[in-house]
Amino acid sequence: MKLAVVGKGGSGKTTTSSVIARTLARSGKAVVALDCDSNPNLGISLGVGDEETERLVSMRQALDEGEEEHANNWDTLISRYGSDGPDGVRLAVVSRIDNPEPG
Amino acid sequence: MRLAFVGKGGAGKSAISGTFARVLARQGDKVLAIDSDPLPGLAFSLGLAIDHTPPIPDDAVVERKEGEEGPRWRLNPDVDPFEAVERWSVEAPDGVRFLQFGKILGDPKNLWRSQMAFRFVINQLPAGRWNVVGDLPGGTRQAFTGWGTWANTIVIVVEPTAKSLLSGRRLARMADLDPENPKRILAVASKVREEGDVEMIAKGTGLEVVASVPWDEELAEAERRQLAPIDFAPGSPAVLAVASLVERLSEEKVS
Repeated sequence: MKLAVVGKGGSGKTTTSSVIARTLARSGKAVVALDCDSNPNLGISLGVGDEETERLVSMRQALDEGEEEHANNWDTLISRYGSDGPDGVRLAVVSRIDNPEPG
Repeated sequence: MRLAFVGKGGAGKSAISGTFARVLARQGDKVLAIDSDPLPGLAFSLGLAIDHTPPIPDDAVVERKEGEEGPRWRLNPDVDPFEAVERWSVEAPDGVRFLQFGKILGDPKNLWRSQMAFRFVINQLPAGRWNVVGDLPGGTRQAFTGWGTWANTIVIVVEPTAKSLLSGRRLARMADLDPENPKRILAVASKVREEGDVEMIAKGTGLEVVASVPWDEELAEAERRQLAPIDFAPGSPAVLAVASLVERLSEEKVS
């Protein structure tokens, strides 16, 4: 299953994704939760906490500023830019290689 | 007055900035309300019936010619920013002029020239003629990547939630990063329900909270009905709180 949650700001994307991720994980599935938002808050809703969320965000920022190399495969991506959350959900704060236009 | 409202998605930026613009205009001031969100935003909160207005035409920006100096794209020299505002903005209630950078109807690539034109026009708009009230898209992507440079005051709209506070802190940090354009950074508490919410927001963002807009069922109903809060519920606590914000920031307005 590869599920993307989209919608207008404030409509509940982050909350919805986090509950889906944790529910799936509780039923025994291996779950990776990807935060692709330019303002990433998924860690908060998953229950990873403020500090760890900001740590992952600062790693992505270093990547976007060219101080870090992009991961070249999935395993490296989720191990380097990820963190273990409750129920065994693996959270990764990720970025596109080419940043899209503002907006 | 050049005021940009920023904040997490859903914090209430459009409702607050739209109401703010209308209240200011009722005092007889020239108000330009601008919206740089590609998704529906400010129009309904201002009281316009439709969300889509024609974007600025593509030929308002020109490409640098072979052998010329400077940036690749610039505002067409035939376009005066002040006239551009008059020509391409539409009139909203209370005489507010409304300019937006284009709504996505199809391929977003079709809009990039008019969006660039919008940015040039706003950034080059002479000071002192308009009070500019801007509604920026939610989150952090656009707020300080060249789209908020026109503002001298940044108002961060924050709800009493962990995610909104975190977004507010990030935005406050980003607003403070540009030493060439020092800005006053203020917070407005939104959807306040409990005693202690305002204090939580002040503490969590480290900012001065200049207004507390309560959670308001009438405001929510205005949003359901696609009506401007100031038209649907002019006496509601949320609208009155925004009016007090106008009062508070009025010392710097252009009459």
